[in-house]
Amino acid sequence: MSLSSSLRHSNSEALSLSQQSTQYLQKHTSTGTSTIPVPFISYPESTELWLMYEKLLLSCLRAGDDKAAHLCIEKLIDRFGATNERIMGLRGLYQEAVAKDDAALGRILKEYDEVLAEDPVNTPVAKRRIALLQSLSRTTDAIDALTELLESSPTDIEAWTELSDLYLSQSLFPQAIFCLEEVLLVAPSAWNIHARLGEVLYISVTSSNESADGKTLAEAMRRFCRSIELCDDYLRGYYGLKMTSDRLLSAFPDNSKAAGQILSTDNGELPMPSTATVRKLNEKATSKLAEMTRWTTARGYNYAEVVAAKELLDKSTQPKQR
Amino acid sequence: MPSYLSRPLTVLGLLFLSHACYSAYEHSTLLTTFPQSSTIASTSTSSPPTASLPLDISLETIISVVMICVGLVVGAEELKPITWRVWAGKVERESGGGGPFQGLEDRLGFVDIRVGIISSMEIGFGNGGLLV
Repeated sequence: MSLSSSLRHSNSEALSLSQQSTQYLQKHTSTGTSTIPVPFISYPESTELWLMYEKLLLSCLRAGDDKAAHLCIEKLIDRFGATNERIMGLRGLYQEAVAKDDAALGRILKEYDEVLAEDPVNTPVAKRRIALLQSLSRTTDAIDALTELLESSPTDIEAWTELSDLYLSQSLFPQAIFCLEEVLLVAPSAWNIHARLGEVLYISVTSSNESADGKTLAEAMRRFCRSIELCDDYLRGYYGLKMTSDRLLSAFPDNSKAAGQILSTDNGELPMPSTATVRKLNEKATSKLAEMTRWTTARGYNYAEVVAAKELLDKSTQPKQR
Repeated sequence: MPSYLSRPLTVLGLLFLSHACYSAYEHSTLLTTFPQSSTIASTSTSSPPTASLPLDISLETIISVVMICVGLVVGAEELKPITWRVWAGKVERESGGGGPFQGLEDRLGFVDIRVGIISSMEIGFGNGGLLV
């Protein structure tokens, strides 16, 4: 328990945000309290204001500033009422954060169950319940609840990605891949989900005991290519492309084995890419990554990602020099 | 052409255009005040007086309009990308790995507040987030 509370304090960014929260709350008190809007005198209330309160609530809780968080949630309840679904979810979040021990969390879970018994389609509370189950490391229960939720709302892509992560944590790769494919059906241009799917496919190949599954690797490579196609200079995509193409080249150094697979996969599936194509893609990814690591963080890339890309490049160039 | 030329060029063009308009107006007043002078100036009496607008006024109008157009185009803001991939790359870099689909990986609905939030969600939703 002490570990989780220290983690809540760790992020300096959240801390600095929450330090500004008291000022922010004082500044905006007048806008929240007036019930009847008077034209030209009171400010028109905007959606952004309430979204801001939500974000503020989250960062306050994360930084451990429970007092300011309480102020935020009170304001939200004043405005939207305690029976609003979204507010119920946020209130649950607040209660979870200030809960002292596991017994308190268990009580919150019971409360969620009661709410859901009355109103089974209360999505925010259902999601909170799943998150809480996960937090109590009851992952299988969380998966069951999540599949139930998805049966009633199959277009909720946030839930699909969550389910994919849960399956991945249980090393159920085909299920995790299926979930991400469902996400892509709803949001086909989400480049980070394409990259994520590539990563999951790659992980499924590396963790399996078989030598190398060429078809899955090729599929992963295609996913990374698609993410690059959707987003210019996508570091994550190029990183994945380099990893997968490196592995493909080491697993299938000559075209003979790959050519054999072209004949075998004749049931509507895409054929294996030729070795020449993979080599070309590998060269492209290498040169692009080298270029991007030279730009470093000046162009807004994540520093950790750039460092990781540099390491990958160094690793792949060392054997050649020897 | 450098962009700082935009404003002087536009102002100069507007000045020329107003001058041309005023000249045309003066010319027409001159014709109505002294109708016989137009018959002397133009060989045929049947042609309307507007047809005999001097060449320099027409030229001034055209040149001034071109100058205004060029001035406005040069001074226009930098064009926004309309290709998806260029736009996406820009969003990705400007928000430091954010973008409209970042919400799918942060998943605020499922956030485990007791461990902390994984990525920079407080700043991630700034630019037209689809998923809030």
